[in-house]
Amino acid sequence: MGPGYAKWIITVVFCWLVQIASSNSVEQKIYVELNNTVPCVRLLNATHQMGCQSSISGNTGVLHMLETESDLDIILNTGPHPPYMVLMDAAFFNSNTMMRMKNSTRVAGVAVVISNSGPPQGFSPHNKCPNQNTGVYSDTYGPRLADCNGTVWNPLGNGLSFEDFKFPIFSMKDDNQTEVIRKCILDHNMGVNGSVPTYPLCAIQLFSHMHAVTSTATCMRRNDIQNNYSLNPETFCDPLGDYNVWAPLRPINFTDKGHKANESVVVAATRLDGRSFFWDIATGAEGTVAGFVTLLAASQALKPTAQQAPPPRNILFTFFQGEAFDYIGSSRMVYDMENKNFVIDLDNVHSVLEIGQVGLRRGTDLYMHTDPISRRNNSSVNEEVEILFSNMSSVAAGLGLTLAQPTVTQPLPPSSFQRFLRARSIPGVVLADHQSAFNNKYYESVYDNAAYLNASYPPDLTPEEQLEHVTDAALALADVATLVARSLYLQAGGEESQIPNITADPKIVTQLLYGFLIQSNNSYFRSLTNPEDNSLLESQAPQYYVGVPITSSTIKRSTRMVQYLLANYTGNPTSLNQSKCQDPSGLPGESKELYTYLWVRGSNGSESSPYCCRSTVRRTKAISPAFDLDLKQYDSQIYSTWTESRWKLIRARIFLVASHDLEMLTLGVGIAVLLLSLLITYFLSSKAELLFAPAQESPGTAY
Amino acid sequence: MNLERVPNEEKLTLCRKYYLGGFAFLPFLWLVNVVWFFKEAFVKPTYNEQPLIKTYVKRSALGLLFWVAVLTTWITIFQHLRAEWGEVSDYLSFTIPLGVE
Repeated sequence: MGPGYAKWIITVVFCWLVQIASSNSVEQKIYVELNNTVPCVRLLNATHQMGCQSSISGNTGVLHMLETESDLDIILNTGPHPPYMVLMDAAFFNSNTMMRMKNSTRVAGVAVVISNSGPPQGFSPHNKCPNQNTGVYSDTYGPRLADCNGTVWNPLGNGLSFEDFKFPIFSMKDDNQTEVIRKCILDHNMGVNGSVPTYPLCAIQLFSHMHAVTSTATCMRRNDIQNNYSLNPETFCDPLGDYNVWAPLRPINFTDKGHKANESVVVAATRLDGRSFFWDIATGAEGTVAGFVTLLAASQALKPTAQQAPPPRNILFTFFQGEAFDYIGSSRMVYDMENKNFVIDLDNVHSVLEIGQVGLRRGTDLYMHTDPISRRNNSSVNEEVEILFSNMSSVAAGLGLTLAQPTVTQPLPPSSFQRFLRARSIPGVVLADHQSAFNNKYYESVYDNAAYLNASYPPDLTPEEQLEHVTDAALALADVATLVARSLYLQAGGEESQIPNITADPKIVTQLLYGFLIQSNNSYFRSLTNPEDNSLLESQAPQYYVGVPITSSTIKRSTRMVQYLLANYTGNPTSLNQSKCQDPSGLPGESKELYTYLWVRGSNGSESSPYCCRSTVRRTKAISPAFDLDLKQYDSQIYSTWTESRWKLIRARIFLVASHDLEMLTLGVGIAVLLLSLLITYFLSSKAELLFAPAQESPGTAY
Repeated sequence: MNLERVPNEEKLTLCRKYYLGGFAFLPFLWLVNVVWFFKEAFVKPTYNEQPLIKTYVKRSALGLLFWVAVLTTWITIFQHLRAEWGEVSDYLSFTIPLGVE
């Protein structure tokens, strides 16, 4: 006994701890982790919670494959092993099936295997009237047009994204992982010749426990209480939001907020985000990407002419973030304009040209949507709209496009422009490929992807060849981009003689589509971004769900990407070196108030030739005014109130589960052994004197 | 401390201290008092200080009972109606359970 002994004990304990930490082989033997899964999470607005959630210890159930209508009957009524976890192909992921499962107590969760192309009849988990309550039409403004009474924009919408499911729903890609699950089901859950399968059965466990409940008002209140009174505050939910990206054609002093004298601005707007039923999957090819790629290409096409023969009015390219969730970005910008927190105010806005969904036009048809109410009530607005329309029509005719106005009584489709109209009667149009209901069959769903937009590539092309390959979608969008660029130039008062010089480059459009739909990590995007910004580019399609900022300084990749591209398209390279690029103040002709300076990799063949790009591009916060510290209206009817719940664990794993009887038997035996051992110990210690011969009395020890 | 080895006068002072301390909204002192001095008050053969100790122990038990009744009622009501009260109960809660109304 001594220090040596203590050392020995420490070594043993240490080895034991290391063993626990390094090998949990029992767990590995039991469970197969599923890594490529995406959950549906809980989102909340002013009044409701929606999405999915599991119990705090995960939902477990025996897997059943849903392949036919009779499988549904087994799951919901007759199967002997409820609750079931349902593995289904995307074909069954529709409103009818899901609502029947929602109302059943025999469903523990759902795993959907998502395919690359959607059902031919269309699928949209959004509602029929997107952003119904936060647009311009209401009881006080065109009551007969409110709630999509005139036109149902998304007739295929089944509203699944707005349902509150009490069980977890995960999506999986059709890959090796789903093969493992299928094999597990085939091996264990199929009875021989239609008989009831016997234990052990293949089961799956899904964890997606959500912290927030009831509504944004509730979870934000709890956030505030915890922040004020708790030593270890928990956050329950976070407001959705990110950044708007915008760039004026002529620089405007960024530090000087509020009204600008002698500034008349044409706003060219589009949206930057989309969504789907599942968290952080939103490819939004037609719904989002087609629009902002068009505007980016238009800004690029416009630059040479705009610098040579600048039009009298300014043009503000704006990319609104979070529009899918009750117009977060546009409502924020309008709110800032009203409160003199933006570089211009609403008086400076001459007109608005918004690009909606433009990627799926039928033939040569494009439509110019306008607001019947402001045109009827305000003759000057009507005049401006007519001028805009005739300008655009003549431009379109020159391009072989047909531009038409829908019926005069039709309201605006869901658009950021509606938020401007809420504040003021401003002339403006929304350019789209649909006359009334969307052409987009997969609005705000996972199937609104590159293939649906016809941005498809011949097989056996290398990524670099794909990048250069001009797709049909790119050709079609390049025409729209030319139309937009020329219309903007005319709208800003530019000379008609300059019009033929403005043409969007299909090659740039195709590169943009490739970067935003296939993978952003390509040579074109690399050449236009900062080489030190490693986290920016990814080797898969970017996702356009607006999400929540992880820290206060994080910015969505797609937002930063658009910022870099817009900077390159509207700005100019300068001769500043890298350190001067970061802080050019004091240099003649340079000003941080007027310009943004971005260090860009550049490209000279395969070599990089970095330069400092000076542009007018800015980012401003796209967080709904409802969460503004001055306002704090968590139950606002006017502004977006969308929040995303927090969670601790998202996880999916499969394993074999034994029958309930066997589990109980094992537990019973375990307890019996424990009791028996206690009994024996007690018996042994009480009879110790009899059982063990007393040790030799050591002489000389006295107490 | 082993009560066996403490002289009777000191037992009484101790018991009184615990009894009085309980009035400072510390019902656990009463609980300790009852448990600790139960044998002294009711089992041990009589001694001079025993009647007073007896009174203190009885009163402590009574106070304890009162507290138990009040707390149980309140906890039952609160747990049942917490979700219904909404905002009020959030302000009353020190820790707010995650993922529960």
